[in-house]
Amino acid sequence: MMSPPKKDNVFRALDRKLGAVAEFTMRQYRTKLSTWVILGVGFIAIFIVVLFYVDSMQQEIEAIDNDGDSMDWDGDGYPTGQERIYGTDPDNPESHPGTFSPPIAPDPPEKWINEDDFDWDLSARGDTTVGYDDDGDCRLADSTQSQKDNNRNNVECDIILDYDEMRGEWSEPNSDRLVDEDPDEEKYAKEAIHRAFLLAIGKMGFVFLLGIFLPLFLATGLIREEMDNSTMHFMLAKPIARRDIFLGRIVGYLGIVWPYVIAMGLIVGLISGFAGPSDGFFRFADLGMWMAIIFATMLATLVYGMLFCALGTLWKHGIVLALPFAAWELGMAILSFNAPSASILRFSVIGWSLNIIDAASLVVWPNMNLFINMGLWGGGHGDGGWWGNSLEGADALSAFASDTGLGISPIATIVVSTFVLLFQALILWLIGSAIFKGKEIE
Amino acid sequence: MSDDEEILPQSLPQPMTIEPQPQPLAQPQPQPMASVPQAPILPIPQQVQKVESVETRMATAETPVTGQARMDTAWGSSEGDEDISQMASISQTDTGEIFKQNYEPWRGELNPRWMRNWAILRHHILGIFKKGHRPWGVPTRIFLVLVFFASLSDAALTLLSSLIGDSEFHSYWGVNRDNLYGHVLGFFPRNVMYYPIVAALLVGGVISEDRLHGTSALYFSRPINRFDYVGMKYASVAFIQAIIIIFTLFLYYLTEIMVFGRGWAWIVDTFPIFLGALMGGVLLIITYTSIGLALSSVSKGKFFPGIGLLAIILGTKTLAIIVKNLFDREILYLLSPYDCLAHVGQTLVNTQPTYDQYSWTWSLASLIVMNAIALYVLSSRVSSMEVTRE
Amino acid sequence: MMPDLQQVGEGQTQQWAPNTTVPVVLLENVSKTYGKIHALSEITLALSGGVTGILGSNGAGKSTLFNLLMGKLKPSSGTVKLFGTDPWKNPAPYARIGFVPEHEKMHDWMTAHGFVSLFARLNGLTREEAKTEADRVLNFVGLTDVAHKQLGRYSKGMRQRVKIAHALVNDPELIVLDEPLQGCDPLARTTIMNVIRELGKMGRTVLVSSHILHEIERITEQIVILHNGRLLALGNLHAIREKMDNIPHTISIGCENPKELAKDIINNDAVYGISFPSGNNLQIQTHNLNEVHRELPALIVNNGHKVSSIDNPDDDLESILKYLTGGLAR
Repeated sequence: MMSPPKKDNVFRALDRKLGAVAEFTMRQYRTKLSTWVILGVGFIAIFIVVLFYVDSMQQEIEAIDNDGDSMDWDGDGYPTGQERIYGTDPDNPESHPGTFSPPIAPDPPEKWINEDDFDWDLSARGDTTVGYDDDGDCRLADSTQSQKDNNRNNVECDIILDYDEMRGEWSEPNSDRLVDEDPDEEKYAKEAIHRAFLLAIGKMGFVFLLGIFLPLFLATGLIREEMDNSTMHFMLAKPIARRDIFLGRIVGYLGIVWPYVIAMGLIVGLISGFAGPSDGFFRFADLGMWMAIIFATMLATLVYGMLFCALGTLWKHGIVLALPFAAWELGMAILSFNAPSASILRFSVIGWSLNIIDAASLVVWPNMNLFINMGLWGGGHGDGGWWGNSLEGADALSAFASDTGLGISPIATIVVSTFVLLFQALILWLIGSAIFKGKEIE
Repeated sequence: MSDDEEILPQSLPQPMTIEPQPQPLAQPQPQPMASVPQAPILPIPQQVQKVESVETRMATAETPVTGQARMDTAWGSSEGDEDISQMASISQTDTGEIFKQNYEPWRGELNPRWMRNWAILRHHILGIFKKGHRPWGVPTRIFLVLVFFASLSDAALTLLSSLIGDSEFHSYWGVNRDNLYGHVLGFFPRNVMYYPIVAALLVGGVISEDRLHGTSALYFSRPINRFDYVGMKYASVAFIQAIIIIFTLFLYYLTEIMVFGRGWAWIVDTFPIFLGALMGGVLLIITYTSIGLALSSVSKGKFFPGIGLLAIILGTKTLAIIVKNLFDREILYLLSPYDCLAHVGQTLVNTQPTYDQYSWTWSLASLIVMNAIALYVLSSRVSSMEVTRE
Repeated sequence: MMPDLQQVGEGQTQQWAPNTTVPVVLLENVSKTYGKIHALSEITLALSGGVTGILGSNGAGKSTLFNLLMGKLKPSSGTVKLFGTDPWKNPAPYARIGFVPEHEKMHDWMTAHGFVSLFARLNGLTREEAKTEADRVLNFVGLTDVAHKQLGRYSKGMRQRVKIAHALVNDPELIVLDEPLQGCDPLARTTIMNVIRELGKMGRTVLVSSHILHEIERITEQIVILHNGRLLALGNLHAIREKMDNIPHTISIGCENPKELAKDIINNDAVYGISFPSGNNLQIQTHNLNEVHRELPALIVNNGHKVSSIDNPDDDLESILKYLTGGLAR
């Protein structure tokens, strides 16, 4: 007769049995070809997008002269902008600063492209004024005070930003003429595309695609396959509760999926950190973003894993039940892009995971909303009116970024979402094990 | 209770012969009961008959039992009785014999190849709605019926438009270039919800179940070519999809003609478009079936091929959309089967192309490559399938 | 009162102890129905100690019975108790039980040693203990030299032995084997039968099911006969045979001069029939085996007959089963 082991307690006994099941599960995954195929396909899919990202980060974005002041309309060799500063007539070939004494050398046209970039404090909160006229075509122009103060705030050559507390967003910039009207497209676009890429790959790539498809393929058969193959008989004839078998299988599944997610996140994070626009050689600030992405994906795979395993246990064709659920989650994901504060999002798993990423983006990049508005305003020039000449990357970023919609601070959002997701996982574990317990296994 | 019996000591004399009986045959010592008053309770009269038929017609060692005799006995010649006794006679000899086994090949007429193939095809197709053929699952059948009716929605709306008499309604739903294209290749809802899932359900267990249960042995131990085997499975899956996609297209076209009394001029005008849509549909069916069957031949599970097919179709499409939105590059559409099909379909039907960064020939080439890879995988897996369970 | 779907125990053996006052296996009026099919009807059984054979043709309900015992099925009515605990609710008794299921699907990628030590760990042993126990038990079934090969390469008999090994790893008091000899080669068969007999001798309770009658005979004499889900007979094989007075027993005596012996024995009241199947064989039909066997030795010795064998050819399970099931078995 076997004597009970010494110094044993609840946790160590559970750990032995749970640990055995988990270890067995991990070894089992290793031997299955499908595991490697799925992990490989996920890797390839993410990396195709990363390649496109790296490619676009290397690309030159054409510098556009938004305000047209690099053109030489009168053919006197002096760009319009220069002529404006010196008060000569841009349309008169006879009138140019070369006639001054001493004569002023003509500027190369490039000097008047992207010369008046944004000078905004992006950490501003609430109504504020921003902007500085770098090229001087407002400040130094020969015009009246009222001409220099179109937005009537008694400050010449500035931009008024109104923050709408109710809707939590910035209104259209109210700019004096010719202030920050020729921004640096490349600088903005690179930053915007970089942020958009991070958000897109974090939300759609990691949380949605990886977060749903990895559990769909790997977790649905955790209990079901063993039941179908009759190999569950062996495990059930041992003194281990069915609830613990369920949990042990999930832990084994997480032991494969979580390291994979962490590794993928780190690799892509490193690549984007080096390839993204930065003052130094690496974007250290983004690491917080990647940590959030990895964390959200880990929680999503946990919850979905429990759910799909429970569905698989419930019904032989459980994977068929999983599909409409995945479709629902896709709908919720799209909804969270457009209407992040919709309360129906609280009834999904992905809504909470995306919240974590959105909250982190607000911490890492303060005032994303303002940044997007900046790009959409784009200097305010062009044919399309205020919003028709947005800078490249602004549309993409506005598509993929969103508010958390919970109305609380970002850190609190992350904490609350984490708890909700863990709670969902716990509930699903209990439901799944209750289903498993009631199953008669032939 | 019977507890007493459990502790009863072994008071009865043990039978002396506990060792394995010396006879290696089915019959223990023959018990001729002819000279004994019949035991009152021997419920099956056949037993008595059987006993009687084992007369002592013992062959001797000079007439050895050959394999031929066993075969004849087993497969039924009229002289069954004496051969049984021949087998029983082995127990009397002290020597052993080694027998040559002569197997005669069957000399009957084999029916033509097309008949055998038709049997396979029929088995798969009739299984959708008849018992006694390949048992498609109930959810599959229900979904197929639902999708069939859903695909008829545009025909139904055309009919409705004639009943209402609203020409604007008709111009929205009636047969025209865009609607013919949309019936086959429209993204939402047909190619998101209906057709890929139909394909996924159909290809799910087609080959993988044979691998799992070893029923491929039933096919390959008969005079059936591997090409025929996979060809007929392919044809059956394609045929079922064709009913849902192409037949409904045809019905849609027909509804318009009959309900609105379209004349030959109209038919002559629209028939090329109809043909274009038809070809687009055929390409769709071929592509989905090839990829699906390739997945089915690789896997052993019932659902993995279907889910894999859905993942490929919808996943590549999603990826391509993400890249297009982020980086404004459409090149990734070449990896998505749906988008390649849509691009080629748009060219066939001559509607407004929605893929403007590259020409449709690229999409066609990509489709051909995808199909080639899928068919290569399929053929190599099927040709290496073992006759026994893998 | 807890609803049935809630399992009470955590499977932790420290908090559970077997109830020693009740039989190891106790079924009280257990029935299992699937709709209209009665897989088992009102089985009442109590077993404790020794090897018991569960007999029945295919479809008699043997596997259902075992699945009920192992908590894989819930009885439609009645109670099942192992060591006094209901296995459907509480998996704790399995610490003292070893189960050898009928099917042979195991994870082909595992080695025998890995397989056995995994299940040792599921019984609560540490990794090192599990390894030791696995070695011990694989030695017991004779698989030490192939213990580290993958199960996929094993023959059927070897796989059976691995299953038995994994069931024995926790030194159980109750061992349940569902058709253990099915598909085994003769060597494996002998090994397994020896193992079962050993276990019975060691005082464990062993349940063996089979539909191959002469194999059960060679392992045990305590039998339970199931047919169509009902209990037909229960107890010692010979005692059961004894009780079936209506059909005659046959005694087959191999001797030099059967006719002489027949003359002597025919006078016994218990003998009602004599036959001579061959030149040196005498068959006696009787209703009372004990009576004849009491007289026979004296008769033989006193009259100087030369006897080579005395046999009860139908005092075996086959005839019992045939009789009890009306010949519908097989």
